[in-house]
Amino acid sequence: MVFPVLYNVWLSLFDKHAFMPVQAFVGLGHYRYFATDPEFWTSFYYGSVYAGVTMVLQLGVGVPAALLLNEAFRGRNLLRGFVLFPYMIPTIVAVILWKWLLNDSYGLVNYLLVQSGAARTPVAWLGPDYIMTALIVTSVWQFFPFVVVTYLARLQTIAPELYEAATVDGASAWRRFLHVTLPQTASVLFVIVLLRSIWMFTKFDTVWLLAGEGGVSRYIRTLPVYAYSRSFTYLQAGMGASLAVIMFAMLLVATAVYFRMFRTEEVFA
Amino acid sequence: MRRASAGRASALYAAGTVLLVAAAFPLFWMLSTALKPSGEIFATPRFVPLHPTLENFQRLFADTSFLVFFRNSVVVAGATVLLTLAVSSLGAYSLTRYRFRGRDAVAGLILLTYMFAPIMIIIPFYILVKQLGIVNTRLALVLSYTTFCLPFCLWVLRAFFQSIPLELEEAALVDGAGRGRTVWHVVLPLALPGLIAAAIFTFILAWNDFLFALVLITSEELKTLPVGVNDLFNATIVDWGLIMAAGVMITVPTVCFFAAVQRYLVQGWGAGGVKG
Repeated sequence: MVFPVLYNVWLSLFDKHAFMPVQAFVGLGHYRYFATDPEFWTSFYYGSVYAGVTMVLQLGVGVPAALLLNEAFRGRNLLRGFVLFPYMIPTIVAVILWKWLLNDSYGLVNYLLVQSGAARTPVAWLGPDYIMTALIVTSVWQFFPFVVVTYLARLQTIAPELYEAATVDGASAWRRFLHVTLPQTASVLFVIVLLRSIWMFTKFDTVWLLAGEGGVSRYIRTLPVYAYSRSFTYLQAGMGASLAVIMFAMLLVATAVYFRMFRTEEVFA
Repeated sequence: MRRASAGRASALYAAGTVLLVAAAFPLFWMLSTALKPSGEIFATPRFVPLHPTLENFQRLFADTSFLVFFRNSVVVAGATVLLTLAVSSLGAYSLTRYRFRGRDAVAGLILLTYMFAPIMIIIPFYILVKQLGIVNTRLALVLSYTTFCLPFCLWVLRAFFQSIPLELEEAALVDGAGRGRTVWHVVLPLALPGLIAAAIFTFILAWNDFLFALVLITSEELKTLPVGVNDLFNATIVDWGLIMAAGVMITVPTVCFFAAVQRYLVQGWGAGGVKG
C-alpha cells in the first residue's frame, strides 16, 4: 500500500506512456503545466462543488434520519436495515437506477413532475444543464446511509440521564437537541465531515458511470475523472500520477487546516 | 418513562415512511421494471407490473455474457475474501501478540491509508501489474483488492484480537497446544464476529469495484459484473428491461450476504472498518 503511493510520486516526475516502457524525466514539468491548464481548474472547481454540496446534503439527510432511527417505534430495526441498502449495493446499480428514474422520455421522475404540474415539459436531467444535479442526487442517495450509521452509533451511547436531567429542567425537544445531543456528537460529526469530504473529493466510479467520457461528461468532470482520462485515455501515466499527487496534497492541506480550525485533540479514538 | 402521545407516534411513523420510501423505492422500481414486458416499460408508469414476466431475465442469460461476468465476479470476490482473511488475521495477530520495533507506527500508518482513494493508487498499480506481466488476469484483480482491503481488515481484527484475554491463550499453551493450534482453536473462534465483518467488507468492495476492473481487465471473458453491465449501455437502443434485470441480479447476492450477517456487520462498523 505504501509502495504504490511512493512509486506514484516518483512517476509524477516523468513523462511516462501508459503502455510503452518509455519514460523521460521532466521534473516538475507536469505540475507547471497543470498550474495554467484550464481543464485542470474546471475539474478542480466541479470536484469541489460536488464534494461540498453532496457532503452538506448527506449530513442534512443523514443526521435527521439517524435521530429518527434512535427513537423507539415498531419496525425500527427493519427500517434500519432498509436504510443501509443504498450504501451496500454496487455503484453500477445506483447509477443505472437513477439514470432510469431520471430518463427524460420514460423516467418516473419526469412523469410525476409533468403529471403534478410542477414542470410543464419533461426536464432533461441528464443533459448539460442538469447533469450535475443528477449526479448530486445519485451520490447523496448512495452515501447518506454512512452518515446515518455512524451518527446513530454515537447517539446510542449518549447517557439517558443527560436527557432526563434536561427534561426535568423543562427543556423542549429542540433545546435538548441543541444542548445535549449536539455537544455530545460534535466529535463524531467532525470525523463524518472529514471522511465524507475526502471520499467525495476522490470519488471516481459514480461520476464516471453517470456520464462516461464523451458528451455531457465535461459538465461534471472532477479531478479523479480527469486523472483517469489523462492516464488511460490519453495514456499519459506520468501526468495522471501528478494529478493524483496534487489531489493528495490538497487533501493533506485541507485536513490540516480543518484540524487547526476545529480542534486539536485526537478524535480517532 | 416518558409517555408517547398519539401525535408523537404518528409523526414518527410519517417520518419513518418518508425515509423508507427514499431509501428503498428506487430499488423497488428497479425490480418492478425488470419484471415488466417491454411494452409496459415505455407506457404510462405503473408501480406493480400488469403482466409480470421473467422475459428480461431470460434474455439477460441467453443473449448477453452476463453469466460469464457473474462467475468472474464470484471467483474474484471469493478468492479476495480468503486471501485477505488469511493475511490480515496473521498480521493482526502479530500486531497484538508480538512486540517489535515500530509496532505502533505500523498501526498509525494503517490509519493514514484512509486518505488514499483507489484513483490515487490505480496508476502505479497498473504499471506494477504490467511489469509483473499479469495484466488482464483475475490474479491482478485479486491482488489489488487484497492490497486495498488489508489496512481496514487489519484494523478491525486488531481491535478484536486485543479484546481477547491473553490468559485463554496461555492456558491452551500450558495444556500443550502449539502456537498454531492455539490460534486456530482459541483465538480465531473468539474473533469470529470480527472475521465475519472483515469478510463482508472485503466481499462488498471486491463485488462492487468498478475502477480496478475497468483498468486491469481488457478481455471480454474476464470482465466482472460492474464493467460488463455498464457495457450494456453501448447498444444503439438502450434496453432498460434488460439492464434493470441485470441490476436486480447484481444486488441479490449483496442483499442475501448482508441480511445473513447483519448483526456482525454493525459490530464491525463500530470498530471503524468502513470506507467508500
